[in-house]
Amino acid sequence: MHFRFFMVLTAGIVGLTLPRMRASAQSVKNEPPAKAVNAPASSASFENQAAPFLAKYCNVCHGGDKPKADLNLTTFKDESAIVKNRKAWTLIKDYIESGEMPPEEKLQPSEAEAAAFMAFITSTLAKVDCTSQNDPGRVTIRRLNRSEYNNTIRDLLGVDFHAADEFPSDDVGYGFDNIGDVLTLPPILMEKYLDAAEKIVEQAIVAGRGSSNGPVKLYEAEELPSTAGGSPYNDFARSLASESALSVQHTFPRDGEYLLRARVFGQQAGPEQVKMAFVVDGKAVKTVEVAAVESDPKIYEFRAKLRGGARRFGVSFLNDYYNEKDPDPSQRDRNLVVDSLEIQGPIQTVDSPFPESHKKILFKMPTKENRDEVVRELLAKFASRAYRRPITPGELARLVKFVDLAQQNGDNFERGMQVAVEAILVSPQFLFRVELDRSPKTGRRNDPKRPTTASLIDEFELASRLSYFLWSSMPDDELLKLALDGKLRADGNLENQVKRMLRDPKARALVENFADQWLQIRNIKTVSPDRGKFPGFDDDLRTAMLTETEMFFGAVIRDDRSVLDLIDSDFTYLNERLAKHYGIPEIKGEQFRRVTLKGNERGGLLTQASILTVTSNPTRTSPVKRGKWILEQVLGTPPPPPPGDVPELDNQKTLSGTLRQRMEQHRSNPSCASCHARMDPLGFGFENFDAIGAWREKDGDAAVDASGVLPSGQKFRGPKELKAILKAKDKDFVRCLSEKLLTYALGRGVEYYDVCAVDAIVAGTVKNKYKFSQLVLEIVKSDPFQKRKGKG
Amino acid sequence: MSQPRYISRRTVLRGLGTAVALPWLEAMAPAASPVGGSVHPDPRRMAFLYVPNGAHMQAWTPETEGASFELPFILEPLKAFKDDLLVLSGLAQDNAAAHGDGGGDHARSLACFLTGTHPTKTDGANIKAGVSVDQVAAMKLGQNTRFPSLELGCDRGAQSGNCDSGYSCAYSSNISWRSPTTPMAKEVNPRLVFDRLFASQSKNLNGAERAKRDFYRQSILDYVIEDANQLRGRLGANDKRKVDEYLNAVRELERRVAHSEKNSQVDVLLGGIKKPSGIPQDFKDHIRLMLDLMVLAFQGDVTRISTFMYANEGSNKSYSFIDVPEGHHDLSHHGNDKAKHEKIKKINRFHMEQFAYLLGKLKAIPEGGGTLLDNTMIVYGSGIGDGNRHNHNDLPILVAGKGGGTLKPGRHIAYPRDTPLNNLYLSLLDKIGAPVESLGDSKGRLDKLDG
Repeated sequence: MHFRFFMVLTAGIVGLTLPRMRASAQSVKNEPPAKAVNAPASSASFENQAAPFLAKYCNVCHGGDKPKADLNLTTFKDESAIVKNRKAWTLIKDYIESGEMPPEEKLQPSEAEAAAFMAFITSTLAKVDCTSQNDPGRVTIRRLNRSEYNNTIRDLLGVDFHAADEFPSDDVGYGFDNIGDVLTLPPILMEKYLDAAEKIVEQAIVAGRGSSNGPVKLYEAEELPSTAGGSPYNDFARSLASESALSVQHTFPRDGEYLLRARVFGQQAGPEQVKMAFVVDGKAVKTVEVAAVESDPKIYEFRAKLRGGARRFGVSFLNDYYNEKDPDPSQRDRNLVVDSLEIQGPIQTVDSPFPESHKKILFKMPTKENRDEVVRELLAKFASRAYRRPITPGELARLVKFVDLAQQNGDNFERGMQVAVEAILVSPQFLFRVELDRSPKTGRRNDPKRPTTASLIDEFELASRLSYFLWSSMPDDELLKLALDGKLRADGNLENQVKRMLRDPKARALVENFADQWLQIRNIKTVSPDRGKFPGFDDDLRTAMLTETEMFFGAVIRDDRSVLDLIDSDFTYLNERLAKHYGIPEIKGEQFRRVTLKGNERGGLLTQASILTVTSNPTRTSPVKRGKWILEQVLGTPPPPPPGDVPELDNQKTLSGTLRQRMEQHRSNPSCASCHARMDPLGFGFENFDAIGAWREKDGDAAVDASGVLPSGQKFRGPKELKAILKAKDKDFVRCLSEKLLTYALGRGVEYYDVCAVDAIVAGTVKNKYKFSQLVLEIVKSDPFQKRKGKG
Repeated sequence: MSQPRYISRRTVLRGLGTAVALPWLEAMAPAASPVGGSVHPDPRRMAFLYVPNGAHMQAWTPETEGASFELPFILEPLKAFKDDLLVLSGLAQDNAAAHGDGGGDHARSLACFLTGTHPTKTDGANIKAGVSVDQVAAMKLGQNTRFPSLELGCDRGAQSGNCDSGYSCAYSSNISWRSPTTPMAKEVNPRLVFDRLFASQSKNLNGAERAKRDFYRQSILDYVIEDANQLRGRLGANDKRKVDEYLNAVRELERRVAHSEKNSQVDVLLGGIKKPSGIPQDFKDHIRLMLDLMVLAFQGDVTRISTFMYANEGSNKSYSFIDVPEGHHDLSHHGNDKAKHEKIKKINRFHMEQFAYLLGKLKAIPEGGGTLLDNTMIVYGSGIGDGNRHNHNDLPILVAGKGGGTLKPGRHIAYPRDTPLNNLYLSLLDKIGAPVESLGDSKGRLDKLDG
């Protein structure tokens, strides 16, 4: 648990209003992206390269009075018309590429003709003039997602409530769950927000003079992962059959007294009763004798003084007994069976000290004389942090009324503050990250009815963009102070802040929220490899797979390594379980450690079990999925979607042979061929890794053939050679990663007009040794991150 | 005047927790007073159950029409409920087809299933489907109950990645749409559903404390409405839409706070049930527990409208517990492989067994002169016909229950090919008392449902 007392915004914040922000928005260092200009669109190339193709193959159906699919291609006369109908033309290209158009029974273009036509569309759509004022895009107002809500509450109150764990999951768009357009707010969520706010203020601010035993957290044993200890007992408990412990990780909100409980029974055998100890962080704090038996489990309780923070709490079995010779089978084996663990607290008594959150919010107590003034000061400070900008006098005046309201209803000052804070926590100003339009000339917020051109976002908005990008949380005091002083963009401050933020432990959010989604390994929690084929797969391995990738990615951030290390590297992080899975000897114990990989086919993300598993089917590998994953997540050249309706599959004869042979038969179907020629070889390069990422030489009886030829003609044998090819495509990879990271940073999809910004990000990163911090900094300095387009 | 509702001991024991001996509470006895104030005598309920990836139609569609049909393999588990069942063949959701948008049938078929609209192809910007039939009913009838509708499922929304060919995951994980742009997130954790439905009011507050809390809640909601309105005036169109969503949600909550006194009676009625402890590891247990909760919610008149998704559309879940270890989606692209057909049938039948479980529970609860099932209309189906072809006509569709006497089940009705599924919805909306002129691509009412 850590606290940062918020000192910077105390004085003078009440009087602070918008003009300060204007000043900050002007001190800008803005470097235009260094990128060559593309020639403006001309109709000549359209005449030469597109019109003949359209006339020959398309206009028969897509022309005239009743064009098919309501698409009349004869209305397009030049390139600018194509650019204006970007969506339609992207689709047209996909249709040609997938062979779905022209339809089979119609005249077919040659491969070269089709390729030339597609290249024309691609280059036409890619033409953006990077010298003129560019469109920085416009992000739709973003609701905090689940992890942002949790982290923000943690940093705002200094207490880890994890309230959002009970919110419905956030929908995903563009691969991420922080996309403004996709984050909706159905009534159930509003209900959860109000409930959460109520619970949070009850814990954060002590209003009652009375005492309470505090909130209860119950852990049902059957829901615990196997790493908790013991083994499943029927479907409701876990059993400790040897002298070992069952424990859970629990975040104790603060220093205080807690009630620790365990609902258990003993399988009694031998001369003694079952003995059990309550254990905190591996240390026995209290020993009890368990007389309870299965027909009547009992709750045992212990009151303990504990420090706040994350610790392991559980129970251990102390006196194992086993005598197989005992004539009575029920007397042979003594075990401890745990039904549930429970933690209640912190216990609040009349004289127990206030929680830190209480002291932090109510840092002053009002007297009769200065009541109004103090209430204003307390609420202005808290709300300004919660809204991530100075609150306006009007907002403050309305908030203060809650304290008055409580008083009128016979409640005390603290209760009034509880209600006010609750209101702040369900206000749209807290739940949404608001960015307002402003005029580029005056910096003044605009009447949205009057459209404006792009302008810089203000420094408070920028501080929020930074902190939610790198920490998935609110800006800290240092960022807010810089914004308040209008210096966030001044004198290399952005560089310094980015470096500082990446070093902060909170940057772990970038691993959990960006990397886990980019790599799609959040799905590792729900994959279900077939236990028959993969008996070795269990929850420990599942967890270990995720940990490896997270620690590896974390190391790239922490050590500011080249992002190319993500493709191939000579180290990773392993514990015994995962090392065994990989066939790497001499790694002992549960702890993960850095392991050097020499002369091993493994290295880099692509050979990590997490990714190899989420791109497989439950019973077998899927080279198609693996290949598609590489095209989408690594090279940024996704294949077009498969043809929508594939009736011909109905008549197709059943495929047979090895997976590779079946895939080759599949590719003999021309409408499948072009895309599978891109996907399949990439996937087959990793065929030496089975569906849970273990190394194999054989698939069934057949030897694995991990060789392949890419459409470019490049040949490889096995993962190492394929990785070398991929690593040489450094610009493709950096571009792909930049686009993913930019999507995540902005909370919107990357659009065609972002191409200039992406060019600059890629160039800057490549120039600076591909360093991760440079990539982040380039994004932070880019127009889409710094600016916002005005709109009517 | 409403009938007192009883909770059978079996209701309570099934799925709701483990070997526990609870002191049985008043809930086990007849309720002393009717639930709620002005409840419809025997309210009609409406539910929609969704299965992903289509079905093996050759083992689904009965060979003959009318009342004397035989249940094919997949429908066999419904034997005990044949007289409560309508098998409707020939229905289609045409707007789930590509219509120029290319791949993405899974996402489209779910987004279209209850809306009958063609969802906008997007990974994020401008998400748009249509208002779903359950929400049309909820908007009309929702004010009678604490929750206008209840959205349940077993799969969380996707956690990352591309769900289907350029469609946002919102399309493939949400079946219910409150507005064309606001999907209703579903709840997958039985413990949280339970808390929400029955326990949240029971915080041991006395009447005065509760009244005061509600008063503060109301004041807070007033405050944030003003906040939102102020904010709204300063935003562009897209942002406004989000704030409107917020405002709608707050108004909904206001209504609930205002009704909290009345609702507390339901808590008393249902207060004796052991709270589920979380998501069961076993998929079947999970499904049944969610269905138990739906039944309880109907029984206690906490809501009258519900949806339930067995899994997200395109789910590649493994069914190894019925000896089908392959992924469901992977299998559904069976390429006419006989062995794969058999496995698909097993999955389809497993889902059907759980449906039979739901029907059994509804039928075991007496209500009025009949049973809860008699007052309910449940649609069960998928937005895809054959998973291999991704066709959206000849959909697998069942309707169960008597809908308060408005349906005449016990028959297989074959409709002309490509009859819009939304015609069925239009008819069901009539029958539940929420008639509309049209919905999605409906072209009229579906005849023959009532005989």
